[in-house]
Amino acid sequence: MEKTDFQKAWKTFEIIALGFVLLSILVILYSVRELLTPFIIAFVIVFFLNPIVNYMEGGGISRTLAVVILFVLSIFVLFILWKLTWPMLQSEINDLKENAPLYLNRIQTGLDRAVDLLEKNIGLLPKGTLGKPLHEKINSLMSGTSDVNSLIKIVKELATSFIIIPFVVFFLLKDGRKVKKALIAYVPNKYFETFLVLFYKIDEQISNYIRGQLIDAFSVGLLAIIGLYLFEVNYSFLLGAILGIFNIIPFIGPLTGFAIGSSFILIDTGSTVDLLKFVGVYACVRILDDIIIAPLVLSRSVHVHTLMVIIVITLGGFFHGILGMLLAVPLFCSIKVTFQTLYKGLIEYGNW
Amino acid sequence: MSEKGLFHLLVQKIRGGEGDIIPVLRTIPIFEGLGFNDLKKIELIVHKRNFMPEEIIFYERQPGTGMYIIKKGVIKLTKTINEERVKIGELRDGEFFGEMSLLDEYPRSAEATAVEKTEALGIFRPDLFGLIESNPKLGYKILLRLSKRLASRLRETTERKLREMG
Repeated sequence: MEKTDFQKAWKTFEIIALGFVLLSILVILYSVRELLTPFIIAFVIVFFLNPIVNYMEGGGISRTLAVVILFVLSIFVLFILWKLTWPMLQSEINDLKENAPLYLNRIQTGLDRAVDLLEKNIGLLPKGTLGKPLHEKINSLMSGTSDVNSLIKIVKELATSFIIIPFVVFFLLKDGRKVKKALIAYVPNKYFETFLVLFYKIDEQISNYIRGQLIDAFSVGLLAIIGLYLFEVNYSFLLGAILGIFNIIPFIGPLTGFAIGSSFILIDTGSTVDLLKFVGVYACVRILDDIIIAPLVLSRSVHVHTLMVIIVITLGGFFHGILGMLLAVPLFCSIKVTFQTLYKGLIEYGNW
Repeated sequence: MSEKGLFHLLVQKIRGGEGDIIPVLRTIPIFEGLGFNDLKKIELIVHKRNFMPEEIIFYERQPGTGMYIIKKGVIKLTKTINEERVKIGELRDGEFFGEMSLLDEYPRSAEATAVEKTEALGIFRPDLFGLIESNPKLGYKILLRLSKRLASRLRETTERKLREMG
């Protein structure tokens, strides 16, 4: 049946209206992004734990009981981990606190030297252009007053998150399927099958990616901690944890973790032997990761060009820090899959 | 009220009633002989859909996503043959169609349209695969029944072809 001009114009209007609605949702989400952090963390945890609940449910127990058992087990495991790691972490934090002025002093001296060299060699820069703001920042860091307010803010945020996250995780694990079903029930018949497939594809993309990245980052962090501890590198726990956390972000993350770690060792002891130990451990962990861990846990990798991955990660970091960087790639893939599915389901088969 | 009645009510309350979906599922060969608990799990992946008269359920050639069971109403199946839309069948309450799409994305061989106001239950591949993954025992039962249905269809087609060839 031939479409009339009015029908064509109406379809165009529908597409523009849909775009406008999506854009409005994005703007609203961006303006309340600070409030979204605990919910994003909860979603990340749900994506990570959901397969375990599914597996337990397959064993014949009810979903609610499976979620309760998983919660109790998680609390137990976290408690044991805390007990095992806290003494080590505490002594490293105390050492760091004690030595912080010394490290900042060393950074200042080093930066002063670099700034002097720059200002001397670049004639256009009047003396103090670079040095003054740098001194001000370092002095505020050394006095420690600038961070008191932000520390209170972080503690407040953490307290709120500790209440919100477990609740959201519990109910999403227990009733997530029902929520999904209820949401999709509102899709008109004409687009129902297309949207159902799309929903699952997005869910699969995000959950596979997040699960893979978290397991990979945990393994890298653990291996790095063990390696650095065995080679008696100072701050082995903190440095290993930094390598693990930064590993969540593809391409840029491992390099950033390495840069931070090696700079820290140079500031701490300045010893070439320590730096070589760190580089050696890092290289071994990377090889193990690339050959064994990553192929196992990141089996269903996303097909996006490296340059695109770097661009979307940078954008993710700009919008929502490290969480934004973790979610940037799966969100980009979801958008890609949305366009592909909509094109196939709605336009190619003519049922838009 | 008798003691049996009270106990029955209590059991009903704990395990939940049959509702209006499970009795329909029981009549479908793919779920034939499955217990209440299994049917309850399948009920979780069933989508209730309502169609108005002349509303298209799916188009011919559109990639298949799943099957529909007619709870109440009538649907017609049409196919384009020599550039003309030909009616190839009509289905009513309790009948189902599109079950092969539970296995693969092969394009639909016909177009399904509601003839009158129709209430249908949809079961779709992504949901079913998720159920199979989390409940392999139930998955095995469903896949076995689906395979039997596929085998019987294949047998019917082969016999018909042989008859046609004389």
